[in-house]
Amino acid sequence: MRIQGGSALLRALLARAGVLVAVLLGAVVLVVSLVHLAPGDALDAQGIPEALRPALEARWHLDLPVWQRVAIHLGEVLSGDLGTSLAYRPGTPVAEVILGPARRSAVWLFSALALTLTWGTALALYTAGRASAHRVALRTVSILPVFLLAHLSVNALNEGAFAAMNAGWIDRPDWFALPDQASALRTALAVVLLAVGSGGLTEVHAAMERAVTSARRSPWAEAALARGEPLAPHLWRHLLLALTDLSLHRVAFLIGGLVILEKVLLLHGVGFILWDAALHRDSPVVAGITLLAAAVLAVVRLAGDALRLTLDPRLRSDP
Amino acid sequence: MRWRSAAGLGAVILLAVVLAALLAPLSGYDLVTDVDPGRAHLGLSLAHPLGTDHLGRDVRWRLVFASRAFAGPGLLAAAVAGLLGTLGGALGGYRGGPLAGSARYLYAVIGSIPRFVLVLLVGSVYGDSPWVLALVVGLSYAPALGEALHSRVASLRRAEFVRAGRAYGLSDARILWVHLVWYASRALIGRHLLAVFGYYVVLESTLAYIGGFGVQEPMPSWGNMLVFEWGRGQWLALLAPAAALWLVVSATRWLADALEDPLDV
Repeated sequence: MRIQGGSALLRALLARAGVLVAVLLGAVVLVVSLVHLAPGDALDAQGIPEALRPALEARWHLDLPVWQRVAIHLGEVLSGDLGTSLAYRPGTPVAEVILGPARRSAVWLFSALALTLTWGTALALYTAGRASAHRVALRTVSILPVFLLAHLSVNALNEGAFAAMNAGWIDRPDWFALPDQASALRTALAVVLLAVGSGGLTEVHAAMERAVTSARRSPWAEAALARGEPLAPHLWRHLLLALTDLSLHRVAFLIGGLVILEKVLLLHGVGFILWDAALHRDSPVVAGITLLAAAVLAVVRLAGDALRLTLDPRLRSDP
Repeated sequence: MRWRSAAGLGAVILLAVVLAALLAPLSGYDLVTDVDPGRAHLGLSLAHPLGTDHLGRDVRWRLVFASRAFAGPGLLAAAVAGLLGTLGGALGGYRGGPLAGSARYLYAVIGSIPRFVLVLLVGSVYGDSPWVLALVVGLSYAPALGEALHSRVASLRRAEFVRAGRAYGLSDARILWVHLVWYASRALIGRHLLAVFGYYVVLESTLAYIGGFGVQEPMPSWGNMLVFEWGRGQWLALLAPAAALWLVVSATRWLADALEDPLDV
């Protein structure tokens, strides 16, 4: 099969982008439909007094049939209007509520992704092809859910610091006591726990170990070694493909984990807002954050596809 | 062999948890009235093998009853994911065409929303009943199973044993459900179902731990047991639910790892 060049890359990328746009449109329809098909309406959920109901029903189109409400809401979302918050910050546009915290959350999310990939790959390069107690230790810790890891870490840090202060070894640290005090330690802890918890580090380590082992045993690696060429440049290209696949897989899990950690460690990101808005049944804010998360996933998938297509020209000929 | 021991242990733990959830009401223990601050923070004893919490409630019985919060809904979530994923994946992979395209598009749409975010969306709009959460978890896991099964069945539908089966006069239904799904893909399906169950256990504990969704006091969940003892200095009551959670999540992983799949190699 002929391997195509730059135009094939562009065509393949455009095809992937088209699929992602279609999927994202489907996600918008799903989210908007889920919100409008629920029994009752936003006024019931917020306990609005009866006297205000007619005016608000007309303003929020609640007097229309469900399909018309879905269509209107779809049109608004597709034109970039996510609506206004009902209960979390009443009357504020949803975009204004979520965009600032979303930037902070994005930094934590991609820091954790970079950390888990780097850490997992470094461990895999060390353990591949040899017996190591690291695997058992890693699996034992990494399998813990992120909330439990956070709970145990915060307890251990607080108790340790408290004991050290009582013994007169240290003065009261500026981060004490977690998670109430805002500090760099709290943020760093969230990033590390997100990278490690819910099986994340184990999964990256295991996948990269398989990639390293299979690459080292492959005919091209043997040929390179036989010719006296360094293996590293070829190996990295191979590992980068595996890392790209892993990144695409891990991001969705990390988004969920970040929501939990922001709430447990009191970090004011978009996950924290999502939880509180969900508790207040503020469906425009919850739907807005859900769509933002779907859009982030779509962009990451497109970037990953672009990287994969660039690294491996054989993928460009796929239908 | 070590992996067999781990798998056996995993199976025993999961079976024990499901049995505990089923049989707990027969114990006669009353979760609501068993409060006695006079016996708070008791250590290990025959009467209280895991001690008591700060309200004097027996930690052992609360651990046992807490399994009811996730066992039934977790099994329902696995059943929903198994049904939707297997039907869409197997039929789409075998038949191909518009059916497969539609199923894969639906899977892609559901899979485009992070699972935990979808759970919160549905929980906020439709309520946080365990059965609603189980349905949405099952629905959100169906794409992963469906895609994996689609690839497996599509790669095998022209295999020699399938052509031989057709030449022998086997029906399409028998080839698909018996040979391709049951014989060739049951380990794959089993691993996914265990992942769904494990995810539900973690989800339920997480929701109860953070609070506001899921099981609320006085009903026990391993999540709310953890947070209830936070900072009260009773390490046994704090660590018992943590250890139980680790054990059950690990058990699903041990068992899943043991479901060897020669076609995955």
